[in-house]
Amino acid sequence: MDYSFLFFISSGLFLGWSLGANDAANIFGTAVGTKMVKFRTAAIIASVFVTLGAVYAGAGASKTLGDLGAINAIAGSFMTAFAAALTVYWMVKSGLTVSTSQAIVGAIIGWNLYSGKPTDIAVLSKIVSTWIFCPAISGCFAIMLYYLIKWSIKHSSLHLLRLDQFTRWGLIATGAFGAYALGANNIANVMGAFVDANPFKGFSIKNFTLNGTQVLFLIGSIAISVGVFTYSQKTMATVGKRLMAMSPQVAWIVVLAQSLTLFIFSSQGLKDLLTDLHLPSLPLVPVSCSQAVIGAVIGIGLAKGGREVKWGILGRIALGWVTTPVIAGILCFVSLFFLENVFNMTVYH
Amino acid sequence: MFHLKISLFAQTKALETKIDEFHDKIIDASMTFKKAIKTYLNEGPGENYKKTNKRVKKIEHDADKLRRDIENKLYIQNLIPDLRADVLNLVENLDKVINKIDEVAYRFYIEHPEIPQEYHIPLLELCEQVCDCCENLAIASRSFFRDISLVRDYSQKVYFIEHETDLTSGHMREDLFNTDLPLANKLQLSDLITEIADIADIAEDCTDELLIFTIKRDI
Repeated sequence: MDYSFLFFISSGLFLGWSLGANDAANIFGTAVGTKMVKFRTAAIIASVFVTLGAVYAGAGASKTLGDLGAINAIAGSFMTAFAAALTVYWMVKSGLTVSTSQAIVGAIIGWNLYSGKPTDIAVLSKIVSTWIFCPAISGCFAIMLYYLIKWSIKHSSLHLLRLDQFTRWGLIATGAFGAYALGANNIANVMGAFVDANPFKGFSIKNFTLNGTQVLFLIGSIAISVGVFTYSQKTMATVGKRLMAMSPQVAWIVVLAQSLTLFIFSSQGLKDLLTDLHLPSLPLVPVSCSQAVIGAVIGIGLAKGGREVKWGILGRIALGWVTTPVIAGILCFVSLFFLENVFNMTVYH
Repeated sequence: MFHLKISLFAQTKALETKIDEFHDKIIDASMTFKKAIKTYLNEGPGENYKKTNKRVKKIEHDADKLRRDIENKLYIQNLIPDLRADVLNLVENLDKVINKIDEVAYRFYIEHPEIPQEYHIPLLELCEQVCDCCENLAIASRSFFRDISLVRDYSQKVYFIEHETDLTSGHMREDLFNTDLPLANKLQLSDLITEIADIADIAEDCTDELLIFTIKRDI
């Protein structure tokens, strides 16, 4: 194996760390923010399930990203992931909500522009459309769940303490599901750029088998886990309260809505089922966890009459969504120029 | 994991029972108070009144113990983090009602007030209203934990009855100062009437807060 790959992959790991610190925080953010789940518990569950999702179900969304731009030189992969990671890091530092998916898409387009490779407009529009569909679908899920849960609580006469316990277990179970869906859906952002240049070989121990891509995804998910443990606590504590004050039940609805949204954008099984039933299916695209959370929170805010949503902050968030792909794209383009002309590296074939 | 889950639910169940028992104490205290005043009016401050007064004291003591238990368990088990402060506040306020009942019953025990026969019926009516007010408060508060849609209905009853106690106590004090009783006697009785009506006032204050907590309790 060429050991220089380990250096080049570091930018992907940096991106994975950023994803763990930012996007993974969204999964358990509302649960930790409302003090229903301890940070340590949340971090352990998120890490385990992100890894499982990435390794066992990460291939679908990864393929779509590959279709957008098949980065064929390892130095190009390095810089694409690095530009995306740096964008995410800057945006998080400056307090703007950021989507790792948008950053990597912007960076890939930057690579396409630099290398002169055509960008598949059909794939790009498929991805960009999910930036609107993802929060919208998450919001719809949240509204439906909100009315359903409200109705159930009203008619069940559940004791406040019993409801609290159910909500706690619900948050943990749904958070685990959300972390699995995040791993499946977002590992493409972290390691997608390296799939075509992946030198890892598969291995098997007894009945446990991993192919080369799964080994790559496993390494990426470890980076995500490190991000979760080292930098997500603050984000988790604020994510729930940023847009709207919420009760633990609403926090649970938000987690469930975003988890379902991530799942439908990453489940090959669900896509196949819908296709078999001749129903329209959604593309397997890495979507933004942050967008899903915000969509869900706004959905509930609207269901409650819209008075509680801090619309000013929403404008700031929307600004982040527009600027992320643009900054990542420009940064990637400029960095590739330096990498090729200053360091004499091959950034595309 | 399964064992852990069962044990967690068992702890919750135990606390649910304690909260229910605490609400029972409000009803017990108010009913026993009514009985105590009846005994006082019929038999005077004799042995029977002492016994009933002791029962009120014991209920107050048990309620305090339950309150401390509920507060500790809510914190130790880190339950209902979003509503914990409200629940603690609610329990404290409910306890104030029981404390006031005990205080008034004890004043009769200490002061042995002389109550003219014509005030027996209005005084019993006032105690009946106060008792009714406390019972409705207990039901409203219990509903806060189980079925918030009922809180408003019972709170409305508390408000209505509290207004009635104000009228009853007002009329009683007016009549009292139109009699030929010695001033010291008048002042003592007036103060006792006010104190009895204060139980309903505390119940009303408690209901005000309960309604706010209920709004917050809605998801």
